[in-house]
Amino acid sequence: MERQRRFDLPFVRELSRNRYLYLLALPGIAFLIIFAYIPMLGHLLAFQNYRLSDGIWGSEWVGFKNFEFFFNGKDWLRVTVNTVFLNALFLVSGLGSAVVLAIFLNEVRNRLFKRITQSLVFLPYFISWLVVSMMASTLFSTSEGLINRALTFLGHEGVDWYLTPSVWPYILTVISAWKIAGYNSIILLAVIAGISSEYYESARIEGASRMQQMLYITLPLMRPTVMILTLLGIGRIFYGDFGMIYAIIGDNGVLFPTTDVIDTYAYRSLRQLGNFSMSSAVIVYQSCMGLVTILIFNAIARKVDADSRLF
Amino acid sequence: MRERLFLVLMYAVLGAFALFCFIPFWIVFINSFADESLLQTAGYQLLPSKFSLHAYKFLLSGKQVFLSYGITIFVTIAGTALGVLVTAAYAYTLSHRKVKYRHILSFLTFLTMLFGTGLVGFYILIANWLHLKDSVWALILPYLLNPFYAFILVSYYRTLPYELNEAATVDGANDIYIFFRIIWPISLPVIATVSLFYALQYWNDWYLSLLFIDNYKMLPLQMMIRQLMSNLNVMAYVGVSQTQYNVVLPTYGMQLAIVCITIGPIVFVYPFIQRYFIKGLTLGSVKG
Repeated sequence: MERQRRFDLPFVRELSRNRYLYLLALPGIAFLIIFAYIPMLGHLLAFQNYRLSDGIWGSEWVGFKNFEFFFNGKDWLRVTVNTVFLNALFLVSGLGSAVVLAIFLNEVRNRLFKRITQSLVFLPYFISWLVVSMMASTLFSTSEGLINRALTFLGHEGVDWYLTPSVWPYILTVISAWKIAGYNSIILLAVIAGISSEYYESARIEGASRMQQMLYITLPLMRPTVMILTLLGIGRIFYGDFGMIYAIIGDNGVLFPTTDVIDTYAYRSLRQLGNFSMSSAVIVYQSCMGLVTILIFNAIARKVDADSRLF
Repeated sequence: MRERLFLVLMYAVLGAFALFCFIPFWIVFINSFADESLLQTAGYQLLPSKFSLHAYKFLLSGKQVFLSYGITIFVTIAGTALGVLVTAAYAYTLSHRKVKYRHILSFLTFLTMLFGTGLVGFYILIANWLHLKDSVWALILPYLLNPFYAFILVSYYRTLPYELNEAATVDGANDIYIFFRIIWPISLPVIATVSLFYALQYWNDWYLSLLFIDNYKMLPLQMMIRQLMSNLNVMAYVGVSQTQYNVVLPTYGMQLAIVCITIGPIVFVYPFIQRYFIKGLTLGSVKG
């Protein structure tokens, strides 16, 4: 009797009824458990004095000591400010230029021009940040870089770009827009393509110019997608772009004051200092900030415009 | 008149942005053929005055570039094949309306997109628990299921008529058979798109090798760029026989040459594969 009931559990019944489908999903589920959820155990290290030899269950628990240490130092404020500031710059420049690109590309009637332009602006998406880093050094390197050569040619003095922290937020912003604008513009172009042509027809009958159609039809109808992309960006505002920053700045300590982000800081704590617990504390701090941000902004989006919320 | 002016401005902005995107590629490409002494005295140029193949010859006379190429190719092929298989099957279950827990699974998958898994836990998992340090699998396994690509496939599967599946079920076929024999073949265009996304991701990755590969001989192409940009002992790293003491080491040229060798295949196939990526992004932007 008891056995019969247990077998009737809805969970078990569902699993057995769709066993082949769950079997198909099994590798994926196993992947998520192993590579996405088990590593979250690493957050426990933030509350330990972790030692490799003792392992995660044998190390000494120290409460919030690692956090105290992190917040008592001066690094936490620097990396937090840098992360948020750089991400905000990247978000605005990447989306802003993509909106302009998408609207303009949509208006281009010359097919060849459109295809070539679109191909070229999408191209940077296809290369790694290490390649971008090499390209940046051909432009910004002090003695061989094209920019300094051009400056000297024009009678100015060259700048030691890689020794000047103050310029890097802006250089990185330009690089970020360079890499991502084409990608974003394609998402937005897809949205524009989905706009019903009736809107434009009736606008033309009313005598609206192309610029007016652009401003009053295309732009407003792109808004939900731009909002979602913005929200996704804001949701990740505490997550620095490790690949970008580490490839371009690397271990160049001179530039840390303006470019060191939470992720590069955590990476260095882990790999160069071997301080697992410290690195973990930094990441727990990052996750908490990320969680709070996304909850707040999702709530706001839900209020303002139900279509734009994430969940 | 204003309309006219606006159009001119529009074309100018687009042209300028396209040029801006292209120039770094051009500089790297053309200077990789520049003479090393020119690079050292005059720096990088838009159009070098003296050409040479020295950098490529030097690079290709060593062993490392072939080792690294081999690793990159293996990781890309194995990773893409496995990744697409895992992702396509997983996404099919997520999209199937018979599956009661598909919403929970979707949500748990979506969550991993919002929150990083945490560097430390990830590092300990691969290095200490799975013991994959200096293993090529450390470069493959962590990327097998990308939630974004899974959702692209889910939103595609949802557009397929459900009758496909009902007819087959009546014929007594199980879901695994239906997936591989019916769904997979008609999804091929989208599966091709997702494969290309995976291939690009594996080809371009260096994060995993930065974390998990200490044996520098085993570094993929991407990391070879990094090595050549920072390594002082280039001769030993590239693996050129140490007897050629009299040759000028093409330090700058070699950095550019390795970049060209790395992005060469991508840029070469780019015109043919571009539309698949556009399609993928278009599908992905449909909220679902």
